[in-house]
Amino acid sequence: MDPDIPLWLMVIVLAVVIPVLASLLKGVLKAATSIPPKIDAIAGVAAAASKDLDAVVILLTTQNYISQITGSVLNYGGSLNVALPDY
Amino acid sequence: MKIQVAIILLEVVLIVLALAVYLIATIIQLFKINAGLDVVLPAVGEIVAKTAPINGVLDAIVKNLVTARDALEGLHLKKAGADAAGLVESVFPGEGANFLRRVGRSGKVVNVGTVYTRGVGILASLGRGAPIGAAHTKGPAVRDPKYSTTAASMLYPRPGGARSRPKSPVVGREAAHSPYEEALTPGERPRDATGRHVEAAPRAAPGGQADGGDRPPAAAPAPPPPTANRITSAKGTRPWER
Repeated sequence: MDPDIPLWLMVIVLAVVIPVLASLLKGVLKAATSIPPKIDAIAGVAAAASKDLDAVVILLTTQNYISQITGSVLNYGGSLNVALPDY
Repeated sequence: MKIQVAIILLEVVLIVLALAVYLIATIIQLFKINAGLDVVLPAVGEIVAKTAPINGVLDAIVKNLVTARDALEGLHLKKAGADAAGLVESVFPGEGANFLRRVGRSGKVVNVGTVYTRGVGILASLGRGAPIGAAHTKGPAVRDPKYSTTAASMLYPRPGGARSRPKSPVVGREAAHSPYEEALTPGERPRDATGRHVEAAPRAAPGGQADGGDRPPAAAPAPPPPTANRITSAKGTRPWER
């Protein structure tokens, strides 16, 4: 057996490994590169959403209004109960 | 040195070089990601802080609305009775069964809207005498989408059908079917404001002046002089008011 065969085999293996390794590393880099623009977009949306949520305080006023409207509706129902005959 | 060893060394160098280039670029991107997340996280924290009290407020609102809904549904059940679920079904399809479940009743929900138009159903529930059972619930809808008012009125019994109602009288100069009788004394007033008979004034001869036309027309008789006890109003002077 030729003593140079193992060396040639190693040369072939390394020659195959190099493109495979390069493609894998390129994929990782591509994935990492695609993340920062999305994070920038998320940052913009989060800032806008946080600003929009400043109106949440109005919900307290809405709650008060709905409480008053509920009272009015119940009073109206009581009047209808008196005004309309039962089934 | 053999050629194989030289090639192996060259390939190892290439591998290390590729690793270095790609990994360094990846590390740079990871640093950018870290910086971006530092910007995003405070905004997300604000969102979480601002939305924290929403649950309590919405729960209170829902509680109020559910209270009002339960009260109104109870009132609706009390007033509409057996047709209550059908009325709910006609307005909100699919809600009739939920309505029955909420009020603790059971039974088949008959969509009132498949038999009557909505207005007729409401009138029926209010006791206006709509003919309940005018059509089968599984049959085609009675209401006509084009002539819905006529379709609704057809539900009510009327001799000759819905369109047999008498026409409105035609009032005009020469109406063929005038609803008014011809006056016996056209243009004259048989009684004055006090209810007394008025003397009939002599009518002028047709054709105007029959005596030659030289004299001017006779002047109208002078009105009677006002008296102290002249009645200016007919109120209280009519026979049935005395």
